[in-house]
Amino acid sequence: MDQKMTVRPVRAVARLRRVTLALASAMALAAPAARAQGAAANSPSAPPAVAGFTYVKSLGGIDEYRLDSNGLSVLLAPDHSAPVVTFQVTYRVGSRNEVTGTTGATHILEHMMFKGSDNYNDPKGNSVKQFLEHVGGQFNATTSVDRTVYFATVGRESLEGYIAIEADRMRHLWLREADRQSEMTVVRNEYERGKNDPDTVLMEEVTAASYVALPYHHPTIGWKSDIEHVPITKLHEFYDTFYWPNNATVTVVGDIEAAAALGLVKKYYGVYPHSPQPIPSIYTEEPAQTGPRRVTVTRPGELGTVVIAHKVPNGRDADQPALEMLDAILSEGKNARLYRALVDSGLAQNAGAGTDLHRDLSLHTVYASLAPGATHTQVEQALLAEIAKIKSSGVTPQEIARVKQQFIAADAYKRDGTAAVASEVNEWIAVGDWTLYVTFPQKVEEVTPADVQRVAKQYLNEDQSTTGWFVPTHQAAETGS
Amino acid sequence: MRHHGYALMALAACLLANADANANMADNSHRSQTAGIDLITYQTNVKQVVVILGSLPAGDAMAGTGNVAIPTLTGMMLDRGTKTLDKFAISEQLDNVGAEISFGVGTQSLEIHAKCLKKDLPLVLGLVAAELRNPALQAAEFAKAKQQFIGSLQESLQNTEGRAHEAFSRAIFPENHPNHPHSIAEYLAAAKSATLDDVKAFHAKYFGPAHLTLVLVGDVPLAETQSEIAKDFAGWTGGQDYIRPAKPASPAGQRDIAIPLKDKPSVSVILGQATGLRYRDPDALALRVGTAILGRGFTGRLMGTVRDKEGLTYNIGAGVSEDSLTDGAWDISASFAPALLDKGLASTRRVLGSWWQEGVTDAELNARKQGLIGGYLVGLSTTGGLAGAIQSAVQRGYDVSWLDGYPEAVKALTRDQVNKAIHTHLDPNTMVLVEAGSVAAAAGAAAPPATSSPPATSSPPATSTP
Repeated sequence: MDQKMTVRPVRAVARLRRVTLALASAMALAAPAARAQGAAANSPSAPPAVAGFTYVKSLGGIDEYRLDSNGLSVLLAPDHSAPVVTFQVTYRVGSRNEVTGTTGATHILEHMMFKGSDNYNDPKGNSVKQFLEHVGGQFNATTSVDRTVYFATVGRESLEGYIAIEADRMRHLWLREADRQSEMTVVRNEYERGKNDPDTVLMEEVTAASYVALPYHHPTIGWKSDIEHVPITKLHEFYDTFYWPNNATVTVVGDIEAAAALGLVKKYYGVYPHSPQPIPSIYTEEPAQTGPRRVTVTRPGELGTVVIAHKVPNGRDADQPALEMLDAILSEGKNARLYRALVDSGLAQNAGAGTDLHRDLSLHTVYASLAPGATHTQVEQALLAEIAKIKSSGVTPQEIARVKQQFIAADAYKRDGTAAVASEVNEWIAVGDWTLYVTFPQKVEEVTPADVQRVAKQYLNEDQSTTGWFVPTHQAAETGS
Repeated sequence: MRHHGYALMALAACLLANADANANMADNSHRSQTAGIDLITYQTNVKQVVVILGSLPAGDAMAGTGNVAIPTLTGMMLDRGTKTLDKFAISEQLDNVGAEISFGVGTQSLEIHAKCLKKDLPLVLGLVAAELRNPALQAAEFAKAKQQFIGSLQESLQNTEGRAHEAFSRAIFPENHPNHPHSIAEYLAAAKSATLDDVKAFHAKYFGPAHLTLVLVGDVPLAETQSEIAKDFAGWTGGQDYIRPAKPASPAGQRDIAIPLKDKPSVSVILGQATGLRYRDPDALALRVGTAILGRGFTGRLMGTVRDKEGLTYNIGAGVSEDSLTDGAWDISASFAPALLDKGLASTRRVLGSWWQEGVTDAELNARKQGLIGGYLVGLSTTGGLAGAIQSAVQRGYDVSWLDGYPEAVKALTRDQVNKAIHTHLDPNTMVLVEAGSVAAAAGAAAPPATSSPPATSSPPATSTP
């Protein structure tokens, strides 16, 4: 029921990672032959040719088109198991597109997208929230570092109504100062809620220390002063720079006929031109890190936390599948190495590993929440020892086999519902290549124990690390942080 | 848009006919007593996946006057080894096929969650049975479970929402009511003094098939499932029923409670009361629908005013809870910055007062009915959503067929029924207010009664269809 942004609390890193990538990576493992054959193996007929669209490609049951008049990308994934449809539009703009003074602007703009547009708004009684709540749609919007997404799951008879509204607010949004003022305090309370959790604060500080030049340095929700003061003119600039069809991908999953769905997309999005200016690209590169970094958050609390982060390649990189396997071996199930070494031994309440995949350099973390009586030093050393073991001795074929089986099952689980499929596709769009939704699992299947050992050696090095401790106030004197 | 009612009913027919084009949920489900267990299966179009939900009356309330940590500790011991497999062997079997089993302990229930591929259903059912029937309950694992429970409790001391909910439930339900939780301090003390013998005794008393419900949804082979469960649970006996108080809780009376926590930039707030209503009581559905008009989604009055128009909060909503087995709770939950707390509460009380005093409009009711029915049906389009709906219905004492009639029951509600339920079962003047976060230690004087506040001047217009 709320608009929310994607944040990266430390304890959620592995879980979010698993949700996004483990499910995606399982798809191909369940049926590699079908994947290789692409859409023809998944659809009874070839993708239809529809006037005004260029057919781009098909993979894994998803057909990609481009709207010729304005460059809008369209992904269609028909699924007739229930008469519902998930429609989402992903804008390739996130907090990476912000600079000092505008941090958090992408997210505020996401909130402002619910304030009405020329043809669909509260006074008319047909705003996006009024329409979707009236038809019982499940909807939301989220902002992350690399993208902003708007989505709803509705009965198939409500699809056109939602597309009409979503398309209208692409170019006819009301961006009024009075709305900004009231929404600013809403967003500020969202920021404040996040700050209630020391682990969220810790992860923000670890991320900020990890990235010096790349805009991933600042949190997606922004710095408080920027949230409070970003002027409406800057939001207009953001909107007029990035909210264009050629900077968006529409994804439709569910009970649709391809030609009819494309017809609706053309009817409502085809009225817009290509952006008048090219979408700005990010040319900043992160300089090489030349030594370990450390941060400490000291606040009232009960139990401490240790996070060790390393920058790793972008989400499309060929080494990501091996890192995925490494993380699963470290953190999935009671036989995972971190569970045995830290949780079962009584050092930690929980422990895990994961990678926050980005369009540019991604961030890998291993983390643990301290058990009562454990010290930060003990837990940090235990985490480092497990990394060191993999670097020196590798992983076993049995571990690799176990994790692959988990992916195979996850493949089947993720087909349960149109929203889940759309959500995963969205994250791969954000990383820069939606086809990884299909091909990433194939690559995971090919990972060997040697690959896992190699990526651990290559990326998880002390000189490239950023270590963070959350030290509860009442423990600060003991730990000497 | 006028046609949405018809369209939604058509959607209902299609969704509920997930497995059979002309059938409803009752026709697609199968309910039986298998090995003494209430077993419900539901076949859907999803391929290969089976979702399992289960409920066993072995929740916190069953501790009674004994050690209050024992139900949770018993639940925590279930996946730490059986009499024939240690926890690593169990985990390996599950990991090797990508299956999942987990347990949670709630107010009255031990909740069972599992997910697997169809081919692995015998393995998973066998492990669920072994973990429920024959947990190892070894001393070394018990010590670890205690430590982890204590750590979790310590962490929860800093959670503003959790602290607010705990204080609220303790305030509105009397001490002998199943919904009256123990405090975190009580749990901590109990966890430290808990013994393995306590756990063994609790397990022996409460774990059995007599009131165990299992719901399997997805690609479920009926005959094989029944056969497997009959084999895995054969010879198992015992089990206790849920606690169902003869009399509902009396209103606790107006109270303001402050829970000061340092360095919390957002205050968690709960305002509400006990309803005295169970889900099956005649006014319960009307109260739920009326409450949705006040506090569900963006078009609820609270979000429309306190968030959208006045910008005082990120999140505010109202709901009814804890009423499946006993009389339940009604509350408004919200978060406010400390500096905006008074203003936010005043706005919340204005909206509440207007809703309570003037009631809902026909336009609001009609719009909300459509939304609730549509949302209910969209929710049934996933295996997990279906399984949850069936489990809730059964726990409330209905058969699966009740789900088929839910849209019609909502549709039949009148404005008078809704407004009467609101007025009869709620009283803003006597509600309990809890604030958890960076607030003053002592609660202030009671806020002015909501009914004496002026009607909301900024209430959103009644929602209407586009």
